[in-house]
Amino acid sequence: MRQFPFGATQAPFSHPGWQIGPGLLIAGSLLTLTIAGVAALLWQAHLPEVSELWQNRYLSNVIQFTVWQATLSTLLSLALGLVIALALVRQPRFPGRNLLLRIMELSLVLPTIVAVSGLVGVFGRHGWLTSVIEHWTMVRWNLYGLNGIVLAHVFFNAPLAGRILLQALESVPAPRRRVASQLGLAGWWLWRTLDWPAVRQVLPGIAALVFTLCFTSFAIVMTLGGGPASTTLEVAIYQSLRFEFDFGRAALLAIVQLAICGAIWLLMVRRGLSANLSPQRSFSESILRPDSQGITRFRDIVLLLCFTLFLLLPLAAILFRGLPGLVTVVVDGGNPLTDLGDATLRSFAIALPAGAFSVLSALLVLTLASRGGPHLARLSSVATAVPLMIPPIVLGTGLFLLLRPSLGHSSQGLVLVALINGLMALPFVTQLLKGPLTGLDQATAQQADQLGLLGWYRWRWLHWPRLKRPLALAMAYGTGLSLGDFGVIALFGTPGQPTVPVLLYQQLGSYRMELAAGTALWLVTLLLLVFAAFNLPGYRRKQSRHQQDALKTLAEARHA
Amino acid sequence: MLRRSLTLFAGLALPLLASAQSNNTLTVYTHPSFAAEWGPGPGVKEAFEQKCDCTLEYVVLDSGGDILQRLRLEGNSTDADVVLGLDTGTMETARQTGLLAQHSISLDSLDLPIEWQDSLFVPYDWGYFAFVYDTEQLPNPPKSLEELVNAPEELQIIIQDPRTSTPGLGLLLWMKAVYGDRAGEKWQALSDNILTTTKSWSDGYFSLFMNGEAPMILSYSTSPAYHMAIDKTDRYQAAEFEEGHYLQVEVAALVEASEQKALARDFLQFILTADFQRHIPLKNVMFPAIDLGDELPEVFDRLIQPDNILFIDPATVAEKRKSWLDEWLNAMIP
Repeated sequence: MRQFPFGATQAPFSHPGWQIGPGLLIAGSLLTLTIAGVAALLWQAHLPEVSELWQNRYLSNVIQFTVWQATLSTLLSLALGLVIALALVRQPRFPGRNLLLRIMELSLVLPTIVAVSGLVGVFGRHGWLTSVIEHWTMVRWNLYGLNGIVLAHVFFNAPLAGRILLQALESVPAPRRRVASQLGLAGWWLWRTLDWPAVRQVLPGIAALVFTLCFTSFAIVMTLGGGPASTTLEVAIYQSLRFEFDFGRAALLAIVQLAICGAIWLLMVRRGLSANLSPQRSFSESILRPDSQGITRFRDIVLLLCFTLFLLLPLAAILFRGLPGLVTVVVDGGNPLTDLGDATLRSFAIALPAGAFSVLSALLVLTLASRGGPHLARLSSVATAVPLMIPPIVLGTGLFLLLRPSLGHSSQGLVLVALINGLMALPFVTQLLKGPLTGLDQATAQQADQLGLLGWYRWRWLHWPRLKRPLALAMAYGTGLSLGDFGVIALFGTPGQPTVPVLLYQQLGSYRMELAAGTALWLVTLLLLVFAAFNLPGYRRKQSRHQQDALKTLAEARHA
Repeated sequence: MLRRSLTLFAGLALPLLASAQSNNTLTVYTHPSFAAEWGPGPGVKEAFEQKCDCTLEYVVLDSGGDILQRLRLEGNSTDADVVLGLDTGTMETARQTGLLAQHSISLDSLDLPIEWQDSLFVPYDWGYFAFVYDTEQLPNPPKSLEELVNAPEELQIIIQDPRTSTPGLGLLLWMKAVYGDRAGEKWQALSDNILTTTKSWSDGYFSLFMNGEAPMILSYSTSPAYHMAIDKTDRYQAAEFEEGHYLQVEVAALVEASEQKALARDFLQFILTADFQRHIPLKNVMFPAIDLGDELPEVFDRLIQPDNILFIDPATVAEKRKSWLDEWLNAMIP
């Protein structure tokens, strides 16, 4: 290395330790934290009866139902997500494209109680759509039970899947797109040569992600499920912890959940990882796809419009119910407005650090995966998935048991809330950053090595331009998820200082329906603002033109 | 971006970190609907602080179940001096933790539908569990629990999960009090009428009932008082059932580990005065625990007054709860 003009030793953070050390620390702490949380529960409890799992009719029913609804939800979400992503990649100039993308980002972070209220407004017994359907067809639609659970899961997860798949599809290298375009490939062949290879890389990861999300679903199942016959493991864990104080059973069920999700995750991710080394580059959209015209175009647009409506109608329902309340609060001012303002500041004080923490951890852990060899790569993918599988309440309670004697003041509780919120967002953030960060192709990487682009410079000139947009989106996800959190904040509650979701629940608990509807709308507005704010810099393309050019030169050199 | 966020956080977090505790602070663990701005909490705080030369601080936990859980988790290192928000369904479990102390105050002024003598728990309000219905959707509600259980499938109701919600547990006990050993089969008969079982009361009331999803929801006999007094509407009423209604009493207690026992006892005493109780009817939407006389809002005269009061001894509830829950679970699984 010494012979290069500006060698490795001169670039800040270029020592290999910087690429592995911090990530190893984070991944290690994550696993330790999880194990410690569960162990703390077991340590406080009597040893649980393992045989209960198959002897208790209710528990075995719970496990079966959890697996069944999660499988169904995953298949439908992925199918819809893929169809939408393909339509979006074919129609880069679809007028509502940006709006649709923003809404797609939002749906995952929408707090469940708000979303369910919107879904019910559309698909419920007296919902807009239900009345229309029942008027024109003989179909009797019932939202409650498996129907509602799967519908809500698709509503939440199809946009997520679509968003990640779109990112994968858009990252197909330009030379390949150009060749496909020149050859006039269409239909099946285009899918085989262009789309499928791009999708194949991320599909196992998304499938694992969506499955885990649906598997651990809680509030949706509780509200739309209809009763004990459709209960998930997460609910059973919650119940053992909060009402039975049966730490042993909670820990046992958490381990079952961890085992099932973990197995799926390993199965899916093992294949995904090895395929992740192929090049990824996002160039301008100037290369027209042969299959984006004519009847396909018409079909795509109809499809995208329907999907937009599917996502927008529940939000519209929230808007219609919430607007009168919110207007009253803003116009009248006084205490309700002060409360809302304070809660908003408090929410951001927790959510912004949580978002930053999740993004930073994801970057470090992903660097670990790409630089540290196969074992460390596996460690990193397991570590980032773990927060998904372990119920926040288990982690929270476990940590509480461990930390309590030294947990002095409630402000420490707030830091802990931010920390756990950040951890909860880690799996999503990782999925978003994984492609762009690890997708640097080998030739470019080698070239950069030869040029001595290491450490900070490498980050600045190779990664930063391609990571800017994903980073902004990841930050929005991390912040948004924490903004809507109710579970963790409730556990480490602070004296009469509610965040916006807590305020919402307080208002509900006190029959302030109009205020609550207003607060729900405000929460959605905040989420929209967060996404808008973080995506704005990513769309000011012109400023970074010279960086793009630098990249282009680097890449074109390889193909010359 | 990152650096900017961190700076912002530092600015926002400082006021949060600065709230230090003084020595003369009484810490009360309670739930959100009590401590919220529009709940009884702020009024009670103001009234008590005028008398006590102290600061009353609420630690707001998610629910009665959470108060108990937090207390158990914290054990003797707890900050709590008083817990407020347990009820007749959870108080016996709380007693068994051994973390509560005797209140040693006189309970003579209590005005409850049942006799109450308890050395640990001071009641602060009460009400009956009841089904609240939408008069526009359901002009003729069932007149008894039996009628509801046998109602045609068209009558759909929303209930709450007895494992995660206080009213949910209330209905479980209600069914048990009325049907005893036959409760399981009655639950099976009722299951056709259950549109959905929600996690908490708020999920069901806000997302579903107020959206018109079902004409009837498990709630409190006092819920209509809020609609009548504040929303100015008679649309939502409670159905009175012949068999009687199950009673819920909400209680407060002194924490054994408290270093402010004298102050805490003053507070428990204060609970039984009009200065505390006048905040209960329309802010906690429950009946006050003492006779408020003319101060009781008029709408409370228009609430149902069951002839038959159902109540199972809290000790029995604590002992049997798990097996009764299992009975319910088995009745609800197809």
